[in-house]
Amino acid sequence: MTETKGEGVQEKTRSVRELISISDLKVTFSSRSGLVRAVDCVDLAIRDGEKIGLIGESGSGKTVTGMAILGLLPVNAKIRGTIRYGDHDLLTAPDRTLQQIRGNEIAMISQNSGNSLNPVMKIGDQVAEPLVIHRICSVPDAHREAIRVLSELGFDDPELAATRYPHEFSGGMRERILIALALVCRPHLVIADEPTSGLDVQVRSRILRLIQSQISGNRTLFLITHDLGAASFLCDRIAVMYAGEVVECGPAKEVLSLPLHPYTQGLIASLPSAGLHPIPGMSPSPASLPRGCRFCERCPAALDRCDCDHPDLFLAEGGRQVRCFHYD
Amino acid sequence: MISRRYLLLRLCYSGASFIVCVTITFFLLHLMPGDYITNYLLSLSNTLPKEAVAQFREQFGLNLPITQQYVLYLENILHGQWGYSYAYGQPVLSMIFDKLCWSLVLLIPATILGILIGTVIGAWSGWKSGGKKDFAIFNIMIVIRAIPEFWWAIMAVMIFAFYLQWFPLGGYASISVLSTGLDFFDVLHHAILPITLMTFFIATGNYYVMRNSMISVIGEDYITTARAKGLDEGTILWRHALKNALLPMITITTFQCAAIIMGNIFIETVFSWPGIGYLTTQALTNRDLPLLEGIFLLDSLITIGAMLVADILSSAIDPRIRMGTDE
Amino acid sequence: MSRKIVLWVSIAILGIFIAVALAAPLLAPAGPYAITGKPLQAPDADHLFGTNEVGQDIFAQLVYGARITLLFGFCSALLAVVISTSVGIIIGYYGGIVDEIVCRVIDVVMPIPMFVLLIVLTTFFSPGVLQVSLLMGLLGSVHGIRIMRSQVLSVARTSFVEGAKAIGASDFHIMFRHILPNVMPLVMVKFVTTSQHMLVMGVGLSFIGMWDTSTVDWGTMIQNAYSGGGVALGLWWWILPPGIAVVGISLALALIGYSFEEKFNPRVGVNRI
Repeated sequence: MTETKGEGVQEKTRSVRELISISDLKVTFSSRSGLVRAVDCVDLAIRDGEKIGLIGESGSGKTVTGMAILGLLPVNAKIRGTIRYGDHDLLTAPDRTLQQIRGNEIAMISQNSGNSLNPVMKIGDQVAEPLVIHRICSVPDAHREAIRVLSELGFDDPELAATRYPHEFSGGMRERILIALALVCRPHLVIADEPTSGLDVQVRSRILRLIQSQISGNRTLFLITHDLGAASFLCDRIAVMYAGEVVECGPAKEVLSLPLHPYTQGLIASLPSAGLHPIPGMSPSPASLPRGCRFCERCPAALDRCDCDHPDLFLAEGGRQVRCFHYD
Repeated sequence: MISRRYLLLRLCYSGASFIVCVTITFFLLHLMPGDYITNYLLSLSNTLPKEAVAQFREQFGLNLPITQQYVLYLENILHGQWGYSYAYGQPVLSMIFDKLCWSLVLLIPATILGILIGTVIGAWSGWKSGGKKDFAIFNIMIVIRAIPEFWWAIMAVMIFAFYLQWFPLGGYASISVLSTGLDFFDVLHHAILPITLMTFFIATGNYYVMRNSMISVIGEDYITTARAKGLDEGTILWRHALKNALLPMITITTFQCAAIIMGNIFIETVFSWPGIGYLTTQALTNRDLPLLEGIFLLDSLITIGAMLVADILSSAIDPRIRMGTDE
Repeated sequence: MSRKIVLWVSIAILGIFIAVALAAPLLAPAGPYAITGKPLQAPDADHLFGTNEVGQDIFAQLVYGARITLLFGFCSALLAVVISTSVGIIIGYYGGIVDEIVCRVIDVVMPIPMFVLLIVLTTFFSPGVLQVSLLMGLLGSVHGIRIMRSQVLSVARTSFVEGAKAIGASDFHIMFRHILPNVMPLVMVKFVTTSQHMLVMGVGLSFIGMWDTSTVDWGTMIQNAYSGGGVALGLWWWILPPGIAVVGISLALALIGYSFEEKFNPRVGVNRI
């Protein structure tokens, strides 16, 4: 991370090649309460080698964005837009292509719910599985590699651990297993969906350090989280999502120390370290989004036009983008 | 593997269930007006030598106070002395076992086929749930289940035996058996229709459970994880979904096997197939209490046993429960 | 869309059955026992479904028999559901020793095969339709208690029940006005599906001769026709009407039950959004 920044401009432009380019992404679900616009016109570029974080509260659409990249959304989702990866548009690519890419070139560290790992399969087999199905190596080699990865991720007795089942491990260990099976094929891009949810403070910091050491160098990280601390620790660049759209984007340190969008400002202010000032009100329901700026109702700096006009992403200093009329 | 305490607890419950059954049958026998002797021996003959009566009293302890009779009854049951049928005058247990074989001729193929077919179609239907094919199969299964078994049987006899004359109208063998003895193919010919019907019914039960199981498995997070690894749909179905979906099937299937062992009353009655089901109907017509009670006790024994085995099996197979944590 | 159509058609069919049963004296004034024609007559102007082996009008028997069959099915289902709901609510709400004891008892009683037990008991009692229906309701309620209980548990532990207790509402009030309405959907589904099972079982039981065969209901009609050689002689009007009637009402109830189940538990259903 710091290496790329320190190198010359030429190096910088080379590593600014875009790995994933999300354009105009719209994801809607039809439900009994009407049309749910989970993601509404998101444009995001993930550059090769960078560590970018997507921050938002639950319901902001960040997880849906992450899942859209790998085509993991449920069948009742209507998706529009393009997600460019190399020569492919991931939204229209055939299943076979997607399967080849998943786990191999782009991998996902799933959200650690109680059930993210197959309860009746030994974890050694589960970690070795991506290697086997992508024909990267033979089955015995795959198991050896799985054990090696497990030991790198902090398992003291990886051979024994590989014969155990998921329920025999604590939440933190299961998170490590999820990381292991995402990294085992050495993918270019790792999407991490809330890697620290449900973990206590000690375990959380260990997992974050683990992610930092494992996804370093020119591996790309796309971190999806509501945890500002995790984002500031791991990411070079941060995009903030609110009510299905990106409202601010820029270098991590600048966004977090000098937030431009009122929502981001509110988020930072609501941290314990800043005094725990919660943002009043609630985010709008994705089934009934307001016409103008979506943050208008809760915004302390709302102008008259915020109610009726919907702001675009405007350019601000330092290459930052803000979706707010104050920066028009 | 499974904690011994859990096993013991389950055994106690099973024992208790059986004791309750035996108690019920005991009291029913006793509350019948008249004596066991008058009811039983009367069906044999009107005049009885005194020694026979005395021997009977001895065996069933009909002179003893009720609590001792109960204990004696319990002992008799455990030793296989289940009383004598009112109508036929034969020992209940041996009568039942005779007919059991005939029921099994129908049940074994029907159960195996039914479970296989039901599970496979249920798994496929659940995997494709929400689609048109699933919708069609699901509704067909509802219709099959809604039509009562005996009506399916009667319709089958009407269409296939009467109008089309492909199969005989009932029984287990043709009249020729009297002279030529039992012919395997003859019996098979008679058995095909009832076996097919039973298979249908068993399959629909399995289908429903398997489908539900599969649907809940598909919604689980580890399926998303598997997909994110790049597995193709077939591998996900086999390696991840099926194994987990089959777990609840074990309990159901064990239970089904047991439930069905007691013969299918309706199908056997319609086809005049001489199995336990048919025996039950005849016993009912004859108001033959000891025989019915015998069938009841055997049924309870098998059902209780099946529940026990199912419990133990699912604890043994599901690695989550292996730790021996009770309930 | 088609799901709604199916539901309403089923309800309509159910309604027709109930209406016919209620209107039996109007539809067949002579009654089911009257001998109004020659034996085994094919359907004609006087006899909509022909006559049976004694010369009784099959149509009359069908509409009068509907009363008994339907009464049996709904009464036993009602009893079963009332018992399992009340017991389920009581033990789910109070918990503690009461819950422990009842659950243990149910654990012991559950494996006992109820169907055969029923046959044994009725041999002993030699009862009529009403008693058998009460008995079936009783025996059938055991299985439902568990299900009701788990539903009640998920409701009883919620905060609004705590809140109601905090303002001093009596136990009965809470159970009746708060918990019951919340489990009502499940109760309704159970009632419909249990009615279907009980009805079909009732016809089956009467088919194998559970009660007095002179009672006219659909089961005895089928039994009569079948053992009288209706199938072997090809006398379709003798055996088909009661059977088709049973299939009709069973299907209607089953479809209504599934529609309800889908509404309240959308994962089980087909054609999810």
